[in-house]
Amino acid sequence: MNKLGTVISFTLRNKLRSKAFIISTVVLMLLVIVGGNVPYLINKLGGEDKASQVGYVAGQYPDIIQKLQIQYAAQPEPDVVLQNSADEAQLKQWVEDGTLTGYLTFQENKEAGFPDVTYHAKSALGSGTSRSLSATLQAVKAQMVVEDAGLTEAQIKMLQTPVQLKNEQISLTNGTGKTEEEQNTAIGLTYVVVILLFMSVMITGQLIATEITAEKSSRVMEIIVTSVSPLTQMWGKIIGMFVVAVLQIAVILGALTVNINLPHNAEAFRAMGIRLDTIDPTMIVYAILFFLAGFFMYATLFAAVGSIVSRTEDLGQAVLPITMLTLVGFYVAMFGLTHPESPLIVICSFIPFFSPFLMVLRVGLANPGWWEVILAFVILIVSTLAIGWLSAKIYRAGVLMYGKRPSLKELVKAMKAYKV
Amino acid sequence: MNPLKVEQVVKQYGDKTAVNGLSFEVSEGEIYGLLGANGAGKTTTMRMILGLIFPDDGDIRYFGNIYSQEQLSMLGYLPEERGMYPKIKVSDQIIYLAQLRGMSRKDAETNLKHWLDKFQVPEYYDKKIEELSKGNQQKIQFIAAVIHKPRILILDEAFSGLDPVNVELLKSTVKELRDNGTSIVFSTHRMEHVEELCRNITIMHKSKPVLQGPIREIKKQFPQERVILSAEGEVTGLEAITGVTQVVRQENSYECTVQSPDVAQHILKHALAQGPVRRFELMEPTLNEIFIRTVGERHE
Repeated sequence: MNKLGTVISFTLRNKLRSKAFIISTVVLMLLVIVGGNVPYLINKLGGEDKASQVGYVAGQYPDIIQKLQIQYAAQPEPDVVLQNSADEAQLKQWVEDGTLTGYLTFQENKEAGFPDVTYHAKSALGSGTSRSLSATLQAVKAQMVVEDAGLTEAQIKMLQTPVQLKNEQISLTNGTGKTEEEQNTAIGLTYVVVILLFMSVMITGQLIATEITAEKSSRVMEIIVTSVSPLTQMWGKIIGMFVVAVLQIAVILGALTVNINLPHNAEAFRAMGIRLDTIDPTMIVYAILFFLAGFFMYATLFAAVGSIVSRTEDLGQAVLPITMLTLVGFYVAMFGLTHPESPLIVICSFIPFFSPFLMVLRVGLANPGWWEVILAFVILIVSTLAIGWLSAKIYRAGVLMYGKRPSLKELVKAMKAYKV
Repeated sequence: MNPLKVEQVVKQYGDKTAVNGLSFEVSEGEIYGLLGANGAGKTTTMRMILGLIFPDDGDIRYFGNIYSQEQLSMLGYLPEERGMYPKIKVSDQIIYLAQLRGMSRKDAETNLKHWLDKFQVPEYYDKKIEELSKGNQQKIQFIAAVIHKPRILILDEAFSGLDPVNVELLKSTVKELRDNGTSIVFSTHRMEHVEELCRNITIMHKSKPVLQGPIREIKKQFPQERVILSAEGEVTGLEAITGVTQVVRQENSYECTVQSPDVAQHILKHALAQGPVRRFELMEPTLNEIFIRTVGERHE
């Protein structure tokens, strides 16, 4: 046990001191901090307080202009303010020097019963102003048609009120469903959890494999395994890297939490319907449990692969199957974010290689029965133990095999020879 | 009770036999030579002693006890393929390795400093391995093998790749360890080192021990068949003496190959008859010759 501690602390110390680790953690932290402030920045920059100034030539279709102004005036926060001018050249000038975002011109169109409108602006594409104008003009046109038809004020109002469609998810377990806000939060949180899981498994797994192969290729391994049993060494390495990964996640999550809870950001998030206080604590518990089991399963697999390869150059190729496996899990999970109930997701959520991603996703977005969660977890734990045991055997034999990557047959032979 | 006793060990990898029925004992303060051509089974034998692999048959005893994890701390190992962590400081990795062998951090630090001083490189304490020259890396590797004061030390090609000065330095260190009671299993291809250091040897060939015992005894088994002669003047007619099979004329001497030791006396008489003799020696076979003969003959 003492030696296990020595290996763990040696792994930890060297990793935490390495420049690559420090830099990558800082970069990730910065990314998270920027990400946490994005909603606020969008609000601030794309600001509702800044209505676009749109010009028009005075005297052209005054009734339309008037109705347009009434429409905008009725909005709680109008995004367009109309400005008139005597002629088009003046408008052009104003757009040029920035006082106006753009201006409107009208063209007679007898067939449509409404003039064709052109919006002139510096940037023509994807502008919110253009969308807003189009929608409001449509409303103006409808209003004019409806007025001509002689409908009452009440009827017009009825026509204009949009249909209300609310989404509520039915929960089979506890009566109250999830509101839209809760669902949005769940999707967001699930997304974050899946990405975190994926990243920590991939990055840490790769690192474990690389370190082991490096020890093998530099032949330190021979001295180490004559001082300490290979399994102690393997577990020391895995646990050490696990602590490193948890530390890194803690730092990043900490930065994220702090930023989200800053007053200005908290408001922005609430405005977007993302509310952290609606997070279901059971989901977090499940996420942690599945993360632990999933992490160790993949870590032992990576360790076993790392032990077989004797040169770092060959490692990438050797870990490819595991990389593919995690990638499949990741993309299925991304698909599952929008289709959490699909049979594919349900079936895959019991497969141990995918369940750390998918069962967490289902807990977050769908309502799996508790027995389903337990079953998936038991399957995962059993596979983790089985894979850990097998990996340990491979490791024991693998660390002393040099030369070309052994075939499966050679590996089995070696495992017998080493009596592991 | 001898520190290390290997008894009839057998190891097979699949259908290939790596070691077949090898036995030897190393007593306290002895350097034991384990010799053999490449692939003869030396490394496998060492790995079995180190407990990395278990023999299929036979027995290895450490002070009379069978192998257990606890024995690891009294074993020291210098592998043939040198290796340390290139990017980690000397002190960090040596102390780590010492701790794995059951030493306390403090003792390890003290010992490391002592060894670095002994090798006159105290400034390496805070250096990374990759900054050191190959020979100095080797010194560090050697320290890694002995820092925890092992009672049984296994040295695989300890002096390869070193310059003569460093070879002498390490050789005297090995002798010191021996004099302090360490039992050393020593493997090398440099026979002159074996002759200088080892009392007993085993020559392995194709997984089997083919020659075993004290070097002196082994030498007696091989005929003395070389005579070195040098005289004031020229000596003629050496080839004509019965029993002389070959005469090689060197710069200041003659080297004769004889069928039996008593032929040498005829050579001496023959030479004295022609003038004063400056040097006459009936040569023992060198270990090198014995090795080549033993291993070479069986190659055919």
